[in-house]
Amino acid sequence: MRLSRTLALGASMLVLLGACSTGGGSKPTVKVGSVGFDEARVVAETYAQALEANGYTVDRAGIGLGDRKVLLPALETSKIDLMPEYIGSGLAQGYGGTSTTDPAKNRTDLQTVLNGKGGGITVLDYTPAVDTNALVVRKETADQFSLKTWGDIAAHQADLKIGLATDCPTNPVCAKALKDVYGIDTSGATLLAACSTPMADALKAKTIDVAELCSTGPEIIVNGWVRLEDDKGTQPADNISPLVRNDLLAKVGDKAAFEKIFNDISAKIDTPTLAQLYYDVAVGKKDIKDVASAWLKAGGFVK
Amino acid sequence: MNLLTATATWLADPANWTGAGAIPQRLLEHVGLSAISLAVAVAIALPAGLAIGHTRRGAEVAANLANIGRAIPSLAVIGIILPITAAIDPQLGFKVYPTLVAMIILAIPPILVNSEAGIRSVDPELVESARAMGMGEGQVLAGVEVPVALPVILTGVRSAATQIIATMTLGAIFGSGGLGRFLVEGIAQNDDGKIFGGVVLVAGLALVIEALFALAGRAATSPGLRRIDVNRQGSLGVAT
Amino acid sequence: MDTAWILDHLDDLGLRTLQHFGLAALAIGVGFALSLALSIVAVRFRRSLGPILTIGGILYTIPSLALFAALVPVTGLSILTAEVPLVLYTLLIFIRNMVAGFDGVPAEVIEAADGMGYARRTRLLEVELPLAVPLIVAGLRLAAVSTIGLVVISGIIGDRFGGLGFFIFEGYRHSFPTEIVAGAVPSVVLALAVDRALVAIGRRLTPWAGLERG
Repeated sequence: MRLSRTLALGASMLVLLGACSTGGGSKPTVKVGSVGFDEARVVAETYAQALEANGYTVDRAGIGLGDRKVLLPALETSKIDLMPEYIGSGLAQGYGGTSTTDPAKNRTDLQTVLNGKGGGITVLDYTPAVDTNALVVRKETADQFSLKTWGDIAAHQADLKIGLATDCPTNPVCAKALKDVYGIDTSGATLLAACSTPMADALKAKTIDVAELCSTGPEIIVNGWVRLEDDKGTQPADNISPLVRNDLLAKVGDKAAFEKIFNDISAKIDTPTLAQLYYDVAVGKKDIKDVASAWLKAGGFVK
Repeated sequence: MNLLTATATWLADPANWTGAGAIPQRLLEHVGLSAISLAVAVAIALPAGLAIGHTRRGAEVAANLANIGRAIPSLAVIGIILPITAAIDPQLGFKVYPTLVAMIILAIPPILVNSEAGIRSVDPELVESARAMGMGEGQVLAGVEVPVALPVILTGVRSAATQIIATMTLGAIFGSGGLGRFLVEGIAQNDDGKIFGGVVLVAGLALVIEALFALAGRAATSPGLRRIDVNRQGSLGVAT
Repeated sequence: MDTAWILDHLDDLGLRTLQHFGLAALAIGVGFALSLALSIVAVRFRRSLGPILTIGGILYTIPSLALFAALVPVTGLSILTAEVPLVLYTLLIFIRNMVAGFDGVPAEVIEAADGMGYARRTRLLEVELPLAVPLIVAGLRLAAVSTIGLVVISGIIGDRFGGLGFFIFEGYRHSFPTEIVAGAVPSVVLALAVDRALVAIGRRLTPWAGLERG
């Protein structure tokens, strides 16, 4: 396993040093991408290894590339062929649509938008796993103010320092929803990258008292933090789907078999599985490739 | 061209010029944080550089330390310092101190190297004749060496200031104020005008500061030396 | 310090160090060539010096965070995205030192060369360039050390680049100081080693200065 990782990095070194690498065989090389978020990386890596197990050559240059602002244009302009996407956020943040708590509707709406992008992009089946925006507090804060729901934050907002995602002021499901639905004033919030180490560190260091984290975030469990309930259902369902360029689907020969590779994987990723994969990488400090391959083996996807 | 329009529109929008988190506030924060880091760096590096240049002892050590300071990635400094300072002060220790420390480390090398090289390059005969006139070591340094070396020293401070202004933006990732907020928020909010408006402000600020230092450098050059244009010589940074 | 992690990742650390060196060396090489050409232009056509230095200065002040992010839509995921900013940041350092080096050639030397019948181009290459070497090497050292530090930020455009910066980013994401240090220390050591090597090269190129300090 370690050797294969070394070889992969070695191959990218060769690219750097000017040598050309060419994919062998008749199957096309597939360029896999993902945002720089560990959970997305590990899902992208499961796609990559499953493709390799099925005889495809994979180019991983796009994995961990940056944020959605970089990734979606990269997909539209064929710099990458496929990527895992959080369909609710992809719809709302990526393309200005309105995402809901219904994943089937989010998928349909995202598909409608993507039909006209970059020569056509297909949204494959989504995971049962949901990763949604969560507001999290330290245990002692929850006890002190008896916080259980997002509504409880509003009642104590004068005493609580809130940390929110950097895009919050312009994100309709963030600042606007918090204000309109819960009456929480976000103008004084500390803005940090969502679902990230700075956000978790800030909560840990008591720089903030309420943090916007991802519901699958391992730091919530590790630190014994309390996730408050979005009792008025403002946050979209963020199930994960692979987004695949149609021109790649046209090249793979047996399109149904190709799509099945991904749909089988997605079907097996429920919320605890996703949280565990994320945990193994972020807290267990295991290498993403090792985490992905162990999970694929356990699930019988690769031998 | 789209980008230019977006940037110009953002910069011209009056809403971005008034209120909390608007351009004047961020600009002030940026200047303030930069000035603090620069002042601390000067307080550390200038006396050290002068002493080394004057005594001609420890130049090798200083050059190596300066090189280490240059080579340490600011991001790594912030990542390592943050848990420590945040434990001391949850607010400033998280949002401000780590970036200040990284900026001070960034600013020390050019100031140290230039003040040492500036003093060392003063004509030894000049120094000897000052001593022959009965000046003490402190007087020689303050009365002869520093005035002659001032343009070179100022150039070191100038390049430290420019580097701080450009690199201070990293702090916004950790919630610090300053112009970096426009870059980080612009990237997250998918707002090109905001990103490049922020870039224009950072670059503009750096150029204004450069110009001020250039003026100060000219004023500080003693008339007898002016035609040699020591100012440009001073931009070497590394003493050979 | 988690030594087990470091021992388990020695191969990656080695490869990333190589990549780090490769990314930096390429940027320094291209930046050097570009700057030499621009400096010669600036010395020959004095009026162009101001604009060249101003543009170099503006490029130098563009925050790296923004520059790497801005290039992805233009240059994609290619090595250009990592290299273009690194090259641009070297220009100001190189050009300042090269021009100062050419300017530092004493007027008597140039007059003597002219008297000996040197054509302008041969005078530049055979007389002025060698005399400018100490300052050019000084610029090279400065550019090398700062470029090696900056390679780290190229990790922002994905795992493929960044050299040792990969570990700094990942270590930060995982709140794992061992990994940050494991990325930062080799990066500093690499910078210092390259600097020493350049000092040695500078000495060999200027044997007449050999009696002075190095």
